[in-house]
Amino acid sequence: MQEDKTSRLKRRRVYVRRKVCRFCADKAMVIDYKDVDTMRHFTTERGKIMSSRITGTCAKHQRRLTKAIKQARMMALLPFTSAHALRD
Amino acid sequence: MKLHHYETFYLLHPDLNDEDRAAISERLQKIIIEKNGQVVKNDPWPLQKLAYKTRKQTKGYYIVLEYGAAADVIFDINRELRLDDRVLRFMTSKLGEKFDYEAIIKAYQDKASKRNVSEEPIDEAATAPELQELGE
Repeated sequence: MQEDKTSRLKRRRVYVRRKVCRFCADKAMVIDYKDVDTMRHFTTERGKIMSSRITGTCAKHQRRLTKAIKQARMMALLPFTSAHALRD
Repeated sequence: MKLHHYETFYLLHPDLNDEDRAAISERLQKIIIEKNGQVVKNDPWPLQKLAYKTRKQTKGYYIVLEYGAAADVIFDINRELRLDDRVLRFMTSKLGEKFDYEAIIKAYQDKASKRNVSEEPIDEAATAPELQELGE
């Protein structure tokens, strides 16, 4: 029984390609709250900020990114939620 | 007084005409210059759709104003924007402690020239294969 369980667990382990922080990889990319197109990549369709676990952003850049997204929301560049977003 | 590097980003009412918008940005620039500051960039964006409704408006004009000024000038700028009801939103942020006018202008020029250089070869490479394909 025990052996059976461990082998199944082993099989279930999926190897995910290591994600690289986009801002570390491309030094020319600057986090700016006015740059809406870049920040759209890091928000979900609902307008939520995507976790660094998903996007692979490093902690340093995730902190700056979160701040920039929140600033963009304040300036009505990005929606707070899709419910408030304007349709066409 | 020591200058810091600031940026003010503000959103204007969509019904304003070109002259009104120019007048507002000129008044802000005048405040900065009067107090020995320097304006680096005044970049008005075209009419843009907002992400959500603000004061019943769905569109607006964004303007980026980048400058060097002493810390107390920010108070005046923000008050000016707060009192003006044609301004829907505004935000002032500090870009750097030091303000070196020439260095900033030069950085912008370098960036612009670099972009031109890098774009030109790509354009040629991108158009050339297309022409070949069309020829075949």
